[in-house]
Order: sequence, then C-alpha cells, then structure tokens
Amino acid sequence: MAIRDRVARLIDEMPRGPQFPSQGATLFADLERRETRVAYTPRSVTRAVLAGRGANMYYLYRLLDETLSPLSPDIPLIFGSGLLTGLVPSAARGNCTSWSPESGVLLDSNAGDYFPSFLRMNGFDHLVLYGKAAAWTLLMIREGVVTFEEAAPYVGMDNLDMRDAIARDMGGTWRRNMAMANITRAGENLVLTSGIMAGPKAIYARGGPGAKMGSLGLKAIVTIAPTREFPTAQPYKPYNRHIAQKLLATSVVKNALSTKGTPFLYKPSRLLGAMGTKNNQETTWTEGLDAEHFDEFRPGMEGCFRCPVNCRPLNDLHVEGGDKYNKGDGPEYVTLGKFGPNLGIDSVASVIRLNNICNDLGFDTASTGSALGWALELYQRGLITTAHTGGIELKWGDAGTIEKLLFMMATREGFGDVLADSTRAVEKGHYPAEAIKYRIAVKGLGQSDPHDARILKAFALGLAVATRGMDHLRNRATLEINAKINDNPEFKTSLYGGPVSAEPNSYVDKERAVRKCEDIYAVGDSVGMCRFTTKLFNSPSLPGLEEFQQQLANVTGLQFSLDELERCGRNVMGVERMINHRLGVRRSDDTLPDRWFDEPNPGGPYKGEFIDRGEFERMLSRFYELSQLTQEGVPQEAWRKELAAALGTK
Amino acid sequence: MSVTVNFPASLQPLTGHTLVVTEAVVNVAQLVNALDRLAPGLADRLDDPLYNIAVNDELLLHNVDKHPLSDGDVIEVVPTIAGG
Repeated sequence: MAIRDRVARLIDEMPRGPQFPSQGATLFADLERRETRVAYTPRSVTRAVLAGRGANMYYLYRLLDETLSPLSPDIPLIFGSGLLTGLVPSAARGNCTSWSPESGVLLDSNAGDYFPSFLRMNGFDHLVLYGKAAAWTLLMIREGVVTFEEAAPYVGMDNLDMRDAIARDMGGTWRRNMAMANITRAGENLVLTSGIMAGPKAIYARGGPGAKMGSLGLKAIVTIAPTREFPTAQPYKPYNRHIAQKLLATSVVKNALSTKGTPFLYKPSRLLGAMGTKNNQETTWTEGLDAEHFDEFRPGMEGCFRCPVNCRPLNDLHVEGGDKYNKGDGPEYVTLGKFGPNLGIDSVASVIRLNNICNDLGFDTASTGSALGWALELYQRGLITTAHTGGIELKWGDAGTIEKLLFMMATREGFGDVLADSTRAVEKGHYPAEAIKYRIAVKGLGQSDPHDARILKAFALGLAVATRGMDHLRNRATLEINAKINDNPEFKTSLYGGPVSAEPNSYVDKERAVRKCEDIYAVGDSVGMCRFTTKLFNSPSLPGLEEFQQQLANVTGLQFSLDELERCGRNVMGVERMINHRLGVRRSDDTLPDRWFDEPNPGGPYKGEFIDRGEFERMLSRFYELSQLTQEGVPQEAWRKELAAALGTK
Repeated sequence: MSVTVNFPASLQPLTGHTLVVTEAVVNVAQLVNALDRLAPGLADRLDDPLYNIAVNDELLLHNVDKHPLSDGDVIEVVPTIAGG
C-alpha cells in the first residue's frame, strides 16, 4: 500500500477536532503533490502513549512499510511536540521520528530550543511529512497557514548562513516569534551523520534525520506566529511556579547546569577511568579538558523557550579576525568527549572550534565523532591506509585534519564520502569486514556519549537495550554514579521501586534501574520535558511523574494515576520495540561492542573491568522479564494485543 | 596528619579553593566532620548527591564514608552531573 493510501486510511480513523483542551492538530504534508490534510490524534492514543515521542510512534507504526528502505519518500518523517511543550518551564522539547538511514532501525531524536514550542503556537502538535518534493522546498507555517515555498535560494547553505538568510527574508524574529528546523549541505548530500538543526546548536541528531529530510527534498520548516495562551482545562500557571522553583532549587541546576552546563561530567568520567579515549582503546585522558578550563571561553549561558535553567554554554575563543567558527554555542559533554578524548585531542580551543563547525555543518557530533574515531583506529591498525583516505594521514590529536574531514564529509568529497556513510562503511564496501570488530556501535548507531560503560553495568545494559541504538539519553540510570545515592540503600530502593546493588560494577538488579529510567524518560519525552531536568537523570529531586500528572490534568484535563502515567512510558518503549521487530531487530541486537566484552578496561581505579558475556545475558533476560518482553525482546502477547488495540490495529 | 581538600567553585564561598585538615582522620566520614569544624555548614552542603569525592584522583562511587585515608592524601570534591 502506498503512503498516500496509508495516510488516507489513518486519517479516516482520526478525529477532526481537538480531543482535549490545548491539543493541536496533526498536519499531513505531501511534499510531492504539495497537499496538506489535518486531523487530531485520537484520545485513546493519547491515553496510551501521550504525545511527542509517544504519538510519533503511533504515526510511524501505522504508516511504516518495512518492505521499502529508510530514504524512500514513502517512509514518513514525523515531528511531534509534547503535551506540555511550550507551556511548562523546561518543557520545550519535541521529537523527530522515522526509519533511520544510518542505523537501519528506529530513528527517534529529541531537540529543544524554540521549534517544538513554536510549532504548537501555530496550532500543530505533529507533522507527518512524506513524498519527494519535485524541487527543494521550504515548508512555511505562518500563524497556522501552511504553504510550500521554493527553497532554491537556500540550497547549499549551512546553518549559520541559513539562519541569517531566513531572518532577513521571512519577517520574523528568532526566539520571539520564529523558529526553524532545517538541514545543511550534509543533509542535502544524504550524509548519514547529519541532523536537522533546530537552532544555532539544537539538533535532532541521532540516526541521520538530516539525510532523511534531505531525501524528501525538504530544506527547512519555518514557523512564524506570536506566542499565545492556550485554552486549558484548569489554570496551570500557579503550578508552573512550583515547577520552576523546584528546578531552580535543585543543587545540580543551581551549582552546575546553570553555571557551566554539561561539560562538568568530563571530570568524573575521567577520574573513574571511564572516559572513552581513542575509540575506547583507552579510558583516561587529560585534566586539561575539565569544565573549569572552558571558563575563559564562556561569555554566558543560553536557554530554550521558557526554560529558567539556561544550561547551554556559549563560547568565544577571543580570536581577532578569523572566520565564523571562533564563536558559537556549546559544547555539551557529548561533543567535548567525542571531539576531545575520542579523537585524541587535548586542546580546549580545538574542541570548541570543531564544535562550532559541527553546529554549522549540521552534524550529529555523537555519530560524526564515532565515525571519525573508528576511522582513526582502523588507520592506526593498518586496516585502511592513505590509499583509502586519498593521501590523508589519520593521526590521533590532529585537529586540523579533523576540521578538513568535516567539510569533506558535508559534501561527500573524497574520503569524506566514506565517513559520511558512518557505521555502514563496511556494508557499503569502504572498509574490510574486520573493521566491524572496532566499531563502537549498537544496532548500527555509534555511541552517543563518550562514557566507557565497561565499569557501570547499568549504563551498559541501557546502551544495549535502547530502542534507537547505542544511546544514553533513552534510559541511563545516571544516578549510579552518585555515591550519596549508592550509599543510601533505602532511598535507592525507593527511587527504583526495588533494590539495586550499590556497587557500580555489579550486575545485581541493575535491570530495575534501567527499567524505571526508561519509563520515566519516555514519559518526559512525550510531555516535552527536557531530559536534563527530569527526575532520575540528573537528580532525584527534579520534576517527575507527580509534576507531569498534575500539569497534564491542569492543561489537558486528562487524569492519569501515577501508575497509568508510568505505563504510558512503558507503552512507548513497547511500540518502539514492535517497530524495531518489523525492521528485523532481535534479542541478539540488544548487545554491546565486542571490545567491552573482550578487552578489559585498560586504566583507572577499575582497571581490568569488562562485561562478562554470561552475566550480561542473564541481566538482559531479567530486563526482558521485568519489562514484560518475550525472550526476543518484543512485548508479550497480552500487552502486544493491548498496544495494537490502542494503535487501532487490532 | 595532613589531608588536603580541594573544592569546586560552587563551594568556594564557604571553603575557599582548598582546606587542609591537620587533625587525625581515619576515613572520609571523619574527614567531613573535621571539615565542618573548619567551615561550619559544609557537612550539610556535602550531603548532596551532586557531590562525589575523589581520593588521590580515584573517584569513589560507594562505601564512601568508610574509605580509609592516610597522611598526605589529596581529596577533591567533584560535582557529578549527567549530560547529553
């Protein structure tokens, strides 16, 4: 069945008006025919998986034709904002979902800044985009009115120039009434590590969403509308004050996120001997990249729409003259790790500059850093040579060459074409088969963060079972690294709903921590809350299910018990696993890179630590059982039927 | 006995960059009590999951209070957060 028939059948089942106060419409946009249709997510779907990431899964599950390929124009690209996005402090997030051209499994990426909120200001909660535009297109959404515009003037532009040009041409103002999701040259060239930029730095990153958007001939989505009040079931602003106060009173926000941002994490990972270095061949690196060394280059902090935290560090290298990459936005911890130790780079200025280039070129720094680290190790081992690289010597710590390679990747020039195929370089015939052994990836997705998880077994399990591939932002039981919590067993038990071993390198009960985090984070994504400020990720004191429950009642009128809300998070994971199963994912894909099984951690206080295959398999089985999954990792039959009914496919 | 403790910027208004504990302490719990005598209120501030402790560049993740200390140890209070 063609995508248009699938869409028509789905819309026939969908309501024509809002199902609760504040609900926005779902816009279906056929880019080939330049046609749009509008409907509303059914209430039963909202009750099962909420909105944002959750409802995105409903749309993908219903519209996916797994006999095609990810870049087929009949595979939709779906955007969704959360139920509280734009209305609640620190809830500025939305997700972008499809079938990943990079990993071959679920593509689902979360971003903040202003686009997800301003999409809602235009009356839309979800966008479902399909069909290949005849020519490069810009989808304009102006005060709720959708038009297809020629994007020819913007083709070939990267993020910085594109943002300048759009601000000049469209009559809107960033951060006040205008936002954009756009691709760069990398997306136009179907680079598999390209993301969709949602701001100067914000990016829908993982799995190659930039390539997917490029395959549809869509250069950008621009929204323009004044911010507005939403009709809500009850007044919600008084409780917003409670949430804001709770955010700002939390130590991690007050003493870390608001002052330096996420680079703080570099030091504990380094001291633990868990800092992925040189493609995880080593696990310790220089103290010269500790967060305090970024202080002199950080002129201020920025934030997302209506977020009081302001955790995004700006940067300025204080270079007179020079090019546009000496100032910018970031880096976050992931970029610091992936473009610092992962590539053997020890200079703060180099990391900042590479970060700024990636923001302009529209690169997912996790996937891009992974592809580069992999290539450097292959070169070190002689598995590739200058014959593969076009004469370029690949050396650890050579920031100048890395910079050059980034630009080559964006245009798929020379060896850049190989790097642009990311984790699929062996499958595409660029690297010998043996290269797979050194690829740090799960389910075809390079590791999101630089933390080497041979020590912390809960981190390792999370990376193995994450539905989009090797990514810590889906389920990381981050508090495993907080000694105060490990040393308070009663409190730790209360956090995870049962005992979890205090020892970071134990396998005992770690599945319980991962299960709880995965559920709460999926709820957070589906209401639009930032991960950094969701309970359990950075602190046990941040807003969690209780706060979401209260504001969902105030904003939407939908009443959820805490158990029901947590169940929504579980359901999101369940649908994601059903999608992945259709894409061929099985238990054997819930695994880890060979290196972590076969090579003991080479340094630090946990030197010698590795992942024991038998212990890992037993932990995975316990995770499946706790999660009501079969031993192949899909929802058990009764739950599967329940989900199918909620999705309208029984 | 001399144990040197370095603090992050968020605690420095109370502690300065470094405090040196010269009284005898055999483990981290005793060290925290000694620090609180030097900088009253510090024990409460350290009772916060944000802060981990590293002893001679080894980050402690559990069983911290009983971790033994020796003369000449260098302690660092390390803010520990998650990131993306």
